[in-house]
Amino acid sequence: MSATTSSLEPLFTILSYSYATLETNFYKLPGSSVVARYVKSSHQNDPGRTLLEVFLIIFAIRTLLQSRTRADNSGKHFISFDEKEIDELVDEWTPEPLAAELSPKEQAELASIPVIVGPTGPKPKLSNGKTVLNLASYNFTGLAGNEDIKQSGVETLRKYGLGSCGPPGFYGNQDVHIQLEKDIADFLGTESAILYSQAFSTISSVIPAFCKRGDLIVADRGVNFSIQKGLQISRCTVRWYDHNDLNSLEQVLEAIEKERQKKRSPLTRRFIVTEGIFDHDGAMSDLPKLIELKLKFKYRLILDESISFGSVGRTGRGLTELYNVPADQVDMLVGSVANGLASAGGFCAGTNIVVNHQRINGTSFVFSAAMPALLTVAASEGISILRNTPSILSTLQENIRAVRVILDRVDCISIPSHPASATIHLHVKLPSPMHLSPRVPPPSPSLSSSSSGKPSNPLSPTPREAPQFDAELEEKLLQDVVEEALAQGVLITRAKRLRGQELNDIRPSIRLAISAALNKKDCEKAANVVKAAFVKIVGRQRR
Amino acid sequence: MAINPASPTPSMFRKKPSSAMSTAASYLSAVSKADARARGLNGGSTTSTPALSLSSSVTSSSEDTVLHEDIGDSADGLYYPSVPPTSEQVFTTVHTEFGHCANESYRYTSRHTPGEPVKGVVEQDPPYYILITTYVSYLLVICIGHLRDFIDFDSFYTRRLKSRIDDCFSHPVTGVPGRTILLLDRYSTDHNVTFQPTGTRTRGLNISSYNYLGFAQGDGPCADAVEESVARYGVSACSTRREVGTLDLHLQAEALVARFMGMESALISSMGFATNSTIIPALVSKGCLVISDEFNHASIRYGVRLSGANVRMFKHNNMQALESLLREVISQGQPKTHRPWKKILIIVEGLYSMEGTLVNLPALLELKKKYKFYLFVDEAHSVGAMGPHGRGVADYFDVNPRSIDILMGTFTKSFGAAGGYIAGNKALIERLRISSHYSAYTEAMAPPVLTQVMASMASIMGVTIIPETKNSSSLSLLHSSNAIPVPVTNLEATAYPGTAPSTALPNWVSLPPSLCDGSDGRMRLRRLAFNSRYLNRALRKLGFITYGHDDSPVVPLLVFHPGKMAVFSRMMRTRAIPIVIVVVAYPATPLVTSRVRFCLSASHTKEDIDLVLKACDEIGELLDLKQAVGERWPLEEITKRAVELVSMKECP
Repeated sequence: MSATTSSLEPLFTILSYSYATLETNFYKLPGSSVVARYVKSSHQNDPGRTLLEVFLIIFAIRTLLQSRTRADNSGKHFISFDEKEIDELVDEWTPEPLAAELSPKEQAELASIPVIVGPTGPKPKLSNGKTVLNLASYNFTGLAGNEDIKQSGVETLRKYGLGSCGPPGFYGNQDVHIQLEKDIADFLGTESAILYSQAFSTISSVIPAFCKRGDLIVADRGVNFSIQKGLQISRCTVRWYDHNDLNSLEQVLEAIEKERQKKRSPLTRRFIVTEGIFDHDGAMSDLPKLIELKLKFKYRLILDESISFGSVGRTGRGLTELYNVPADQVDMLVGSVANGLASAGGFCAGTNIVVNHQRINGTSFVFSAAMPALLTVAASEGISILRNTPSILSTLQENIRAVRVILDRVDCISIPSHPASATIHLHVKLPSPMHLSPRVPPPSPSLSSSSSGKPSNPLSPTPREAPQFDAELEEKLLQDVVEEALAQGVLITRAKRLRGQELNDIRPSIRLAISAALNKKDCEKAANVVKAAFVKIVGRQRR
Repeated sequence: MAINPASPTPSMFRKKPSSAMSTAASYLSAVSKADARARGLNGGSTTSTPALSLSSSVTSSSEDTVLHEDIGDSADGLYYPSVPPTSEQVFTTVHTEFGHCANESYRYTSRHTPGEPVKGVVEQDPPYYILITTYVSYLLVICIGHLRDFIDFDSFYTRRLKSRIDDCFSHPVTGVPGRTILLLDRYSTDHNVTFQPTGTRTRGLNISSYNYLGFAQGDGPCADAVEESVARYGVSACSTRREVGTLDLHLQAEALVARFMGMESALISSMGFATNSTIIPALVSKGCLVISDEFNHASIRYGVRLSGANVRMFKHNNMQALESLLREVISQGQPKTHRPWKKILIIVEGLYSMEGTLVNLPALLELKKKYKFYLFVDEAHSVGAMGPHGRGVADYFDVNPRSIDILMGTFTKSFGAAGGYIAGNKALIERLRISSHYSAYTEAMAPPVLTQVMASMASIMGVTIIPETKNSSSLSLLHSSNAIPVPVTNLEATAYPGTAPSTALPNWVSLPPSLCDGSDGRMRLRRLAFNSRYLNRALRKLGFITYGHDDSPVVPLLVFHPGKMAVFSRMMRTRAIPIVIVVVAYPATPLVTSRVRFCLSASHTKEDIDLVLKACDEIGELLDLKQAVGERWPLEEITKRAVELVSMKECP
């Protein structure tokens, strides 16, 4: 016993010595006596409290020291391995290849993409040396290749160089950008506008800038891919209404209101998201009715005019001009400078508050370099051309009519697009659904009769009665039509989409984009070629 | 492409008795411009009188050349070089866009010494009182902000904290964002809610733009090529790449990018941000794991979020942390199910734009061999700016670029253009053309931008003239096959990092001899390398705390206090010779490490850097920023021993 005590003696000495040094050092610290006095007195009053405070301090230190990128090895699903086992697992693991090989069909698709040699425009030259009529490029108002735009572009290049070399927040904000934003706002009649440097990245950034988790969005089932991605990123609650069916929208809005009152859930920010002219099929929204509903139910409206801006209305201002609705009734009006003004980028117009909010929160605005000055000035120039020459839009509408007159009456084509839409989608119309491959059952009569009965589930993006079609077959037929038309000197294209990545299966279509740069005769000629190609290819299929 | 038949003859200048006239070509062009303006050619095109347009290389110059309307003090070095050029030196650039610097000793090569371990950047901590007062100053503004409104927390930061320093952000500018930049002056009467332009303009030394190689120029061969392309192609491709937006220019540019990067194939997207956000979802999906550096750019996070893959982060540039994370995730497999991961993709940046740190590529590649992950390197800032041949971090560390699976980068920074690229093997690029959002939904890159990319890239690479035969022109290649990636003339002789064959460029692009032999590109690379190393080391010698690698053209200088940050920015901007810099704070950086960020360029001269150092020295003294430990040199000694400082192997 004594032997152990004596052997432990040096240890005690060390302990007591280190305690003494600790104490003296502690009292050397400024303010330490206050702490010591506090601890002493509180311990005297309530010993349990000291224990509690010690725990608290330890917990605080632990929380502080925990790294944010900590490994999740405390979870109940964690299995601990020793180093050797891990090495074996590492050796065993074989990843999938980074990129899956292309299937022959995909290779054919890649090879079928036309290459334009020289400038694009109404009559571009292809890599096979042929000059073709262009019914595919987004050049509604025929601004592509405009000499005035080219000249102002070159002047800008000499004055500004090409790139802006910085995001707008850090000295990339050039006066030409401010000017274009002002031009767009003036053109549409909104307080302000903000310029993004790519059309696709515009609305997918606008939506998450305003809508956060817990907010509510009511969206059309047929919205374009960019909106779908914006909704995905925003992580907010989404309710869906049937494609371009405002009665369905009203029902959904009413149901939400009822539910909210029943649950007494707090008010959140609420938005309606839809398109002016739909990218997927060219259908047009009834804007006055949309505005009426949004005011009635107190929602904000995010309207994507990527197709309609620069293609409808007297001077190309889009749906607001067509329906004579003041643009400030639309809370966030999103459009494409790339499509509408044949330049690059996109914009969001609205009040000063809406726009300034995006200057800090619009992800692809903040973290991207500003658009090249040359392209910005080209767009400004385009707006002034549209303002001063309303005849461009009337020519465009005449061309659209000329094409529609020919294609509307072909019985193997069905057209879902609005008669005024400059993008015309052509679906294959096969004589009866029986023709489809056997794996697609014909619509049962009970289902089709219920079309006016049960509405679709607003929680699901898929409608109750999804249209039935054989995408493989139709795609193939349409591609044959495209190639046949190309052989006859007309450039058209299938609407290319990422099947499987879109929310719903979209019926394959050929997307025509009519341009004011073509004259009526050329349009008729081109439409007749398309018609003949359809009759030839689809007609053969029918037999 | 065609080669200019020795057009700007330097001998023309040599013949002139030059002692009286301390000028170079830029002066002449400016004089001619001023002359034209005097004659009242205001709105019309700038056709200068033939007698005065001696130099054809300086074409009709823009409004903001050397002789800008009313230059205040011509001796301040902004408009005229402080050291007048001699008769031997001919500068074809405009000094305000691309500075004149003839001293060959102010050059350096950006290269990692082979065999040496990659040192991590030592992050110096400031004294504790700086940290504490930083927190206190945040606390102060937060408290005041809360006092003023305690209801809405949502936009609290923007309204109450950021608005105090809003005058340092989104400043409107005009003209070429080159060596100098023209600020449009503004003032605010309502505490930075709105700004009113005063109508005046201030020219400042530009240390803020991403213009690493100085290709932001309104003059010169690249701009000439772009002008030609606007005349030929207009400004837009009017469609998506998979529909009808593919021009011959796209194929040529993509082939050139692939050659530049030393990869099999490449694709070009019209926006840098969207390159990441629209392509990462095609690389990984549910069941895959992305391991991402904690300081990765927002576009990467955006793309990963869209992809649906699982994400794990590792501590910035910490390879030990990465390895232990790799061991954990591979052994554990997917959460809950413990199935093995389909793929693991590690996403890092080559050069971190807020930190100035370089990725530890050699160590990563070692790990890659063992752990079989795929490697994605975002070279937004490093391509062009790093490496002896400007090919990015792979070139800098002298590793085979093909050992990296995916090289991504942007054209905004080093090439003075816009948009981005992905380079990889052929199968990968073809897969991306089919399945990524970019090809199906985003607009194709505009022809003038493509031309700027090709012209600037070719001048970095140098061009090998290949006599054009009837069949070898790139156009006829397009005729023969309409497959998308066109391998433009398979020249094994010019291996990576070699020159570009002249057939890889459109035949209407004409480049002067100095660009073809690569001397212009080399000059740019070497000047940038010198400038970067000089400023990095000089700031440290002055006693500032800086982050980042010595060779990084992005130099962050830590100021810690958010208040000091704004004051620093304002003091720099309102100096006699204004200096334009970028300041960054939370949320782009951690709360305490507010910083000033310098972005250097090849267009800066050594005198410009001296100017910045002098300004930093004075302001740093005033704001108590010199907190670093270590040896300090006085400013005079630094500027005098600049070359020595740069060529030192180690800088303590």
